[in-house]
Order: sequence, then structure tokens, then C-alpha cells
Amino acid sequence: MKHILIVDDEPHVIRILRMALEQSGYMVGEAANGRKALEYLDRLPPDLMITDIDMPQMDGKELCLEICRLYPDRQFSIFVLTARAEIEHRLWSRKISNLQFMEKPVSVRKLVAQLDNYFSRKNGDEEPSCQSAP
Amino acid sequence: MQVNQILSVWKRERLGLMMVIASLAVITVIVGMLFVNQQKSEMENIRKQGISLAKLLSQMSFDQVVPPTGKQGAFAVLQHNQEQTSFSYLVVVDTSGRQIAEISSSGVIAPVIPVPSSPSEWLEEKTLSLPGDGKQVVEFHAPLFNDSKLAGHIRLGYFKPGLGFSSKQVPFLATLALPIFLLAPLFYFLIRREIRPLQKANSQLDELVRQGTLNKMEITATGELQEFMNHLNGFIGSAQDRIKQLESERSGFETTTKLLSYKRSRIDSVLQSMPDALMVLDESGAVSFANSRFNTLLKVSPGDILSKKPVEWCDNQDVVAFLSDCTRKSAHGFNRNVYEFSPRATPDKTVSVSSYPLFSPREPDQLLGTLVMFRDVTAEILAKQSSGAFIAHVAHELKSPLNVIAMYSETLQNDDGKDDAFRIEASNIIHDETERLTQLINNILSITKIEMGSISIERKRVKLRDLIQDTFDTNARNANAKDLAFEADIPREMSPVAADKDLLRIALNNLLTNAIKYSDPGGKVSLTAEEDENSIRISIRDNGIGIAPDEQKKIFEKFYRSERDDIQSRNGHGLGLSLAQEIIQLHGGTLTLNSTLGTGSEFVIDFRKETDLLKQAV
Repeated sequence: MKHILIVDDEPHVIRILRMALEQSGYMVGEAANGRKALEYLDRLPPDLMITDIDMPQMDGKELCLEICRLYPDRQFSIFVLTARAEIEHRLWSRKISNLQFMEKPVSVRKLVAQLDNYFSRKNGDEEPSCQSAP
Repeated sequence: MQVNQILSVWKRERLGLMMVIASLAVITVIVGMLFVNQQKSEMENIRKQGISLAKLLSQMSFDQVVPPTGKQGAFAVLQHNQEQTSFSYLVVVDTSGRQIAEISSSGVIAPVIPVPSSPSEWLEEKTLSLPGDGKQVVEFHAPLFNDSKLAGHIRLGYFKPGLGFSSKQVPFLATLALPIFLLAPLFYFLIRREIRPLQKANSQLDELVRQGTLNKMEITATGELQEFMNHLNGFIGSAQDRIKQLESERSGFETTTKLLSYKRSRIDSVLQSMPDALMVLDESGAVSFANSRFNTLLKVSPGDILSKKPVEWCDNQDVVAFLSDCTRKSAHGFNRNVYEFSPRATPDKTVSVSSYPLFSPREPDQLLGTLVMFRDVTAEILAKQSSGAFIAHVAHELKSPLNVIAMYSETLQNDDGKDDAFRIEASNIIHDETERLTQLINNILSITKIEMGSISIERKRVKLRDLIQDTFDTNARNANAKDLAFEADIPREMSPVAADKDLLRIALNNLLTNAIKYSDPGGKVSLTAEEDENSIRISIRDNGIGIAPDEQKKIFEKFYRSERDDIQSRNGHGLGLSLAQEIIQLHGGTLTLNSTLGTGSEFVIDFRKETDLLKQAV
């Protein structure tokens, strides 16, 4: 069973995603902001992390950069949910590999399908992380 | 002193005195000439008389003139007739010089002279001096013959006429001198009369020179002098006109100069007061003008950069290159270049430099230099950034509830056997998020309009009591749902005010919503309204989570939300308080906060009744 961590300050978002992912057979963990996500990662690294950007205390961008710093050999992928579609809000992620954006509003169905697809494609073929993207 | 007096009299009366002296000289000359003429005339008479008498006697024989014995000869006749005043003597001498006969005036002794020896000397005229008194005598010689033989000589002497003055001449001289003496004062008077206007003119001119003014002279004269005075007055008149014209022109010039000076100082004041730093570069690229803004913007004194090229005062090589480029481009008539930089002296500022070629307004082809404008665009850049940040914030805040709505509605659409409880929960969440979205959009619209100044307060007579009560009642449902004690203390009567009802409702609603939102179940929210003669106060108090001191100012900033967990866990977008404050300030009121962390908060609205906005309706 794949383990997914959802990081979002919006309880309704966590609740609906948890419901949908659990129905699809994933194990779901949750954190309300970046700091709590780091604490979670320290205890239990997931197979994939879904994170919002705008969060109190530590936002999604800081969280990703911090993960890159703390876990240079990270194995899990990161899905970033963002309300900001402009490219300049994504430039920070250029040097972080194994990370992709999903624009809000997010379709729960599409997200679950994308995750299913991702895990089936992956087939245990681990990608290197935190290396310079081409 | 006496010398001075004499000199002054001479100066004053020199003309008269000179005329007296001149007339005396004339008389003297005339009298002298008369005497000389008279002397000449007498001499000629004597000569005629002497020669003719000598010749007459010479034609007689010696014996006829002087008979040898007792006979009366010519000599005796002559002796009785020689009574003339000029006659001196008549002597007859023999050939040896012996005096034979003599007649003479009384007291006169004929001088003894040698007998002429040669015949050429027989008829002769001589001037001799009488022995004794030495008087001059003119003597005429003539020979006397007896039978053609020289028998002797006649010597006839006359007193030589002198320059003597005789009493007979007095009347003549008096007759001559009198008219001259009479004419001299007359001439003097006439001349004085003629030159009097000239003297008057002279003294008036003196006076004018002393006073430094130029007026026409009031002088009456005659003839050419009058003509001269007329010309002089004409000249003075022309000079007066010219002076008036010059004074008028000078006054005009002074006015023009003052006007120009005023305009110049006004333009200078305008240039110095410009919010931007302005400089003019001449054709060589040197600074020919710089206003005082350089002091603050670039920390450069305008006086220090005058006549200097940018390379001499500017430490930013890019700016130097830009300005050189501007000067070069201006020469080719290019317009407007812009460059932005951060000055080394004020690195926190962003300065935009723009240049414009300066052409002469009269001769559009003549290039006067380059106008360079340094503008502090820090605020504009920050405004652009904050505007961008605001839009990004709004987009995010809008997308967050939309995201939740989309997720839940999509899940409901694909309902595959979920229980009723989920459907109720989902529909409640969708409803709440829709309300949140609506309120957010309303708040964003209101706050944007207020900030852009496009919102106008629709001042209407508002029954404040009803408005407060109504807003309170609207929020009562939410308060009850949260199990809060929700209380209001509103006076039965409150003065109506002139306010915008809808805006005030938004402000009150936001404050009440906040109080409910940040109170825990079982808590208490109370609204109190008070009114006295001068002011109205509305307080909204809760005993909720409270606000930390360091956040009490920030909560009025747009989109500010505390990062505290107990706040983040409650829905909010950080616009409610900002909007409430803007609305209350728009009505001339104040919104203040009293809060203690963990104990609760109190928001106090104060309106003063004398505020224009409110008092009209009161």
C-alpha cells in the first residue's frame, strides 16, 4: 500500500483528498503546514507528498527546499498544488527534480488517476532526486 | 577783503568801466590827432608865410630893405606889422654876419649863427634854439643884393608850433568829449539792457544745474536774443520730452525687468520645487542647470556639479555613459531615453533617468542642450510590486474556496454509495465556501473601490440604532450556532446620522463576524452603543483568543493573517478588518483595538458628531 502525505492548511481539502485516496487504496497521512510536514517526514517518509503552497508558518516552497536540503537522496515524489499558474511562481523549483505542479482548482478524480498512473509507471524504478534538472 | 570787493565790483561792472576807459581812450586819441593836425597845419602856414616873406624881401635891394640913412625902408614897415603870435624875429645881417637891423617879439634875442658861405645855402630853412629859454625856432634865410652884388642876408624866425594846449580849444574839446561821455552810458545802458536776459538765463541755468532739473526759462528778451531764447526753450522742451520718453522707457524697462525677475524667480521656484531632480546639459555635455533635488536624491550639491561633465561628479559609470549617449543623441534630435539605477549614496532607492533634447522655442532647429530628469521611482516600483502581490493574493484567496467547492461538488457528482452524512457535510461545506467566496469578493470590490477613490459615500439619513440592531440580528444565527452568549446594549433612542448605510453595515458586520469567528464555543460577544452630546461610540467585545501585541497593528493590513494555529484553523482572508477600518475612516471616525492574548478583544468605533459627514443629519 502506497503511502501519501497531504500537506494543506485547509481541513476541507485534506478531508476530501483523504477520503478519495483511501477509497483508492492509499494510506494517507496529513500535515497542516510545512513545519508539521517535516516532523511527519522525520517519523515516516511517504511514497509521495502532495502539498499546498500558501500555508502558515512554513509554506510549500520552503518545505520543498528544506526537504531537498535535509533529504538529498529523497525517494518520494512531490506534487505541488498551487493557485498561482504563472511561471515566475515556479522558478524556485527548477533545481528540484521529481516534482510537479497541479493547478487549483484540482479535480479529485484526475488527481487520483494521476497518482495511480504515476505509481504504475514507476514500477519501482527510483529516480534520483535533488539533482539539477536539465 | 577790499581786493575781493574791488574784484567783485570789477566783475559786475567791468563792462561799464571798460566803456568809460574806452571812451576816454577814444577822446585822447581824437584830441591827439587833432593836435598833431593842428601842428602840421601851423607849420605849413609858417613855412608858407616865412618862405614867401623871405623871397619877397630878397627881391628887394639891400638898401630898400635897410636904407642907409634915416629913411623908412621895408624893414621898418615890417616892424609894425609883425604882431603874429608865431613870429619870433627878423634880422638883416651883412655879408660878414654883422647884424644890421632886427625886429623881434618881446623877450626874444635872435641867435647868432654863421653867415651861409655858399650860394646853395642862401635860401634855406633851419631849426634853431633860442638862447635863454631854448624855444625851437624855424628860421628862413634869404640873400639881399645891392646892384646884383650880395649885400647881406635876411633871417626870418618863427616859433615852431608845439602840442600846447590853449584855452581856445576848451570849448571845442568839450563839445567833442561831451557826446562821447554821454554816448558811453547810453551804450552801456543799451548793452546792459540787451544782455540782461542773457544774465538772467545764465543765473536760471545755474539754478537748474544746482537743482538738477530741466525747465523752460521764463525770460523776455527782444530781437535775436529772444530768438535765441526761443530756440533754447525749444531745445529744453525737446530735451524735456526726450527725458520724459527716456524716463517712461526706463520705467517700462524697470517694470519689464521686475516682471522678468518675478517670472524668473517663479520658474526657478517651480524648477526647485519639482519632485524630480532636473538638470540641463549643454552641447558639450557639461551641467548648465541643476535643481536642489539632487541634494536628496543623489546626495550631490547642485552648486558642485555646475559646469562639470557627468564623469567629474557621477560615480556610476553606466549613468555617465548613458548621459554621454543622451548628449550625443540630442545632437541628432532623438527623443527620450530612460535608464534605471540605484545610486551608490542611496542604494535603497531606484532612480529613473530620462533625457529629452531641448530645442529653442523660437527656432525649433536650434538645440539648446539636453534636459535630464532623475526621478525616484522606488515608490512606483513598490506600488507595482504590491499591486502584483495584491492580485496574486486575491487570485489565491479566490482559488482556495473554489478549490474546495470544486473538490466536494465533483465528489458529490461521482457519488458512488457515500452515506448521507457525507452529502450533508459536503453540501454544508460548499455552502460555507460559497458564502466565504461571496464575502471575499464583496470585500475585495469594496476595498478596491475605496482605495481607488472610485467609491463615493452615499450620505443618507441613517437611523443608526436600526442599522446596529439589524446587523446584530443578522449575526445572531452564527453566534447561536457556536453556542455563544451574544448580547447587545443599544440605547432606545439614537440620533440619526448622515452616513453610507451599506458601507457602515459591512464594517459592523466584519467586526461582529470576526468576534464570533475567534470566540470559542461558550464564549461571549457583546455589542455596546453609546451616545453623548459630541460623540457616538460602538464597541464590539469578545472573550475569544485575543491578539498578540506584535500583531495588533498588522491585523489592519490587507491580507494579513496571523500564523497562529488557532487562527489559521478558522476561515479568513485577511481583508475584513482592513476594510472595516477604511470605511470608518471614510466616515471621519476611528477604529481602535484593545486586546489581551487569551482574554479577548475589543474593537471600538468612535465618531465625532461635529464631523461634517455626520452632523448634517444630526
